[in-house]
Amino acid sequence: MTQFLMFLINGIAIGCGFALVGSGLVAVYRITGVVNFAQGMFAVVAALSATSFVAMGVWHGLAELMAISVGGLAGLITGVIAVGKRGTQPLTALLVTLAVGFLAYAVEVLIWGENPRSLAGLDGRAELMGVPVQRQYLLVIAVTVVVFVLLWLFFSRTYLGKALTACASNPYAARVVGIDVTRMAFIAFALGGVLGGIAGVLIAPLRPVSFDTDVSLIVGGFAAAIFGGLTRPMMALLGGVLLGITEVMIQAYGNASFATMGSLVFLLVIMIWQATRRPTVHKESV
Amino acid sequence: MRTPLPVLVGIAATAVIGLVLPFVLDRGGLALYIDVALSACVVVGISLLMGFAGQVSLGQTVFFAIGGYTAAVLVLNDYTTAVPVLNGVPPALVGMVAAPVVAGVIALLLGIPLLRLHGHHLAFATIAMHLIFLVVVQQSEPLGGSVGLMGIPGLSVGPFDLAGHQSMAFVSLGVLALVMLVAHNVVASRPGRALRALATSETAAESAGVPVGRYKLLVFALSGAFAGLAGSVWAYYVGYLSPEMFPVSMSITFVVMAAVGGMGSIWGALFGTVLIKVVVSSLGTLGTASGMPDYAPAVMSYAVYGLVLVLVLLFLPHGVVPEIRDRLLPLLGPRRARPPQGGGSTPREAESGATADSEPVTSQSGAGVQPSGHGAPGSS
Repeated sequence: MTQFLMFLINGIAIGCGFALVGSGLVAVYRITGVVNFAQGMFAVVAALSATSFVAMGVWHGLAELMAISVGGLAGLITGVIAVGKRGTQPLTALLVTLAVGFLAYAVEVLIWGENPRSLAGLDGRAELMGVPVQRQYLLVIAVTVVVFVLLWLFFSRTYLGKALTACASNPYAARVVGIDVTRMAFIAFALGGVLGGIAGVLIAPLRPVSFDTDVSLIVGGFAAAIFGGLTRPMMALLGGVLLGITEVMIQAYGNASFATMGSLVFLLVIMIWQATRRPTVHKESV
Repeated sequence: MRTPLPVLVGIAATAVIGLVLPFVLDRGGLALYIDVALSACVVVGISLLMGFAGQVSLGQTVFFAIGGYTAAVLVLNDYTTAVPVLNGVPPALVGMVAAPVVAGVIALLLGIPLLRLHGHHLAFATIAMHLIFLVVVQQSEPLGGSVGLMGIPGLSVGPFDLAGHQSMAFVSLGVLALVMLVAHNVVASRPGRALRALATSETAAESAGVPVGRYKLLVFALSGAFAGLAGSVWAYYVGYLSPEMFPVSMSITFVVMAAVGGMGSIWGALFGTVLIKVVVSSLGTLGTASGMPDYAPAVMSYAVYGLVLVLVLLFLPHGVVPEIRDRLLPLLGPRRARPPQGGGSTPREAESGATADSEPVTSQSGAGVQPSGHGAPGSS
């Protein structure tokens, strides 16, 4: 039983990582209608920057914060490229973010090389109701909860958050009432970068990160986000946690090599189920 | 339907260049030539899929790999002796026929659930398909697991040994020509016209009586078969297969080539593949040659893929070949205006495509793919 609880908490922590990547996707999608394939890249960039900052002698904590701002910057740059030019369609923008991901590969390999790097996190274990848990896992869970509460407050309680949402639901009307849609899109991408960065510095101590880790991160994040139709952060959190638990349980009680398949099958089943339930959901531009 | 002279000359020139090159290239050049020809087969399929069916597939490498594995397993186990009908038929040939069939059928079966999805949903679903495929291959004993299959014999048909670099180049060229011919005929047929309508507006096509779902599935299966055929030749050429040879980034590079050349354009697919492969390869040799650090080739190829895709998507959203076509053909006079890729099934349609913004033919919305998704708000 203790073992089961341990796996459960591990699963929740890993799921929180997916949920954080997913929340970045949600933030960008809600506001720009673009599915940002570079979301995993933000996390990778932040994680790798954090390792460099720590190696340069910056204190832990500060190094992570600096790395998160690097992630935000990466987000802003991606946003400028993807939606800076007027009239870029969302699906074209998806391909552009994919291309930006490739460009980022070049930069990442140039700076950090091709080998995976890991970051020291909180070490040691804490006792939680008699269950030994790595403290880094608890940190991940705690930060995720705080981030999601802040995100929810931001979208539902602040003017900027509402303006951002307005851009997504009707960009034309948003422009009519005086909202600068392009600037909002940049803000969205920067926010996505920060969220990705948070995910990156939290995940880096749990698993080594290399430049091509972004594929597994983005697929996991997308699987979490699609759970809430890409628009509801809280559902993304739930999706991510379910996903993390599934993966860890397959790893613990089944065949470890099929663990990543859990999230992929989860992703496919959810999407196909959503599509069959609402067969005419896709919109066409006029 | 007359094909204008400049276009005929262009096709003839391409064919002559394709036939002459294997005689002049050195070994490295031949390897690149084969790589280009086989990749182009996959890219033609993607171009059809994106330009005509309006679907993004980021998992096309799966079908390439399936073709390779099918051919390899058939040749290594020599099933021709077991089946009486096939007795005496060269096993390599059986593999080359079976590869596109198996890949096409698997594409068909996967397409039934997957093609219910649209836009970015399909993009991620195909990536997921790719990752699942890699896990399955790694776990599969008959496919060699993560070690892979070694010692696949070179292509030989009866007394003819075609395993050399030069003869493999001609085989690849033949395969590419076959793929382009099939694609051309599909595009020019009645279903081809329906597919164009489908790419522009699925709803409109459906209300005009086009069996949208079936046609999309057909194109998906066809593109899978193209990739499978190319994969079988690739397996004979390199002689071994392992899951690491088929990363997700490979699927993405195929999409880059299709987008650069111009989606929905068969010649564009060829052009995009040649352009990207040649640039990446020449930068790669530059990176290895002049005392550069060992990560230089990787950096350069990623940078090329990224930069070219960004620039083309933002500034030539229809792709290079359609863009050139739209600029040049009006100069040839309106009566001659006809897309060189054989895409225009009637001269009138082709004219409207050539004189640009009157009637959307293939790639009017963005990169030739219609924006769609779960209430995806258009950010226009």
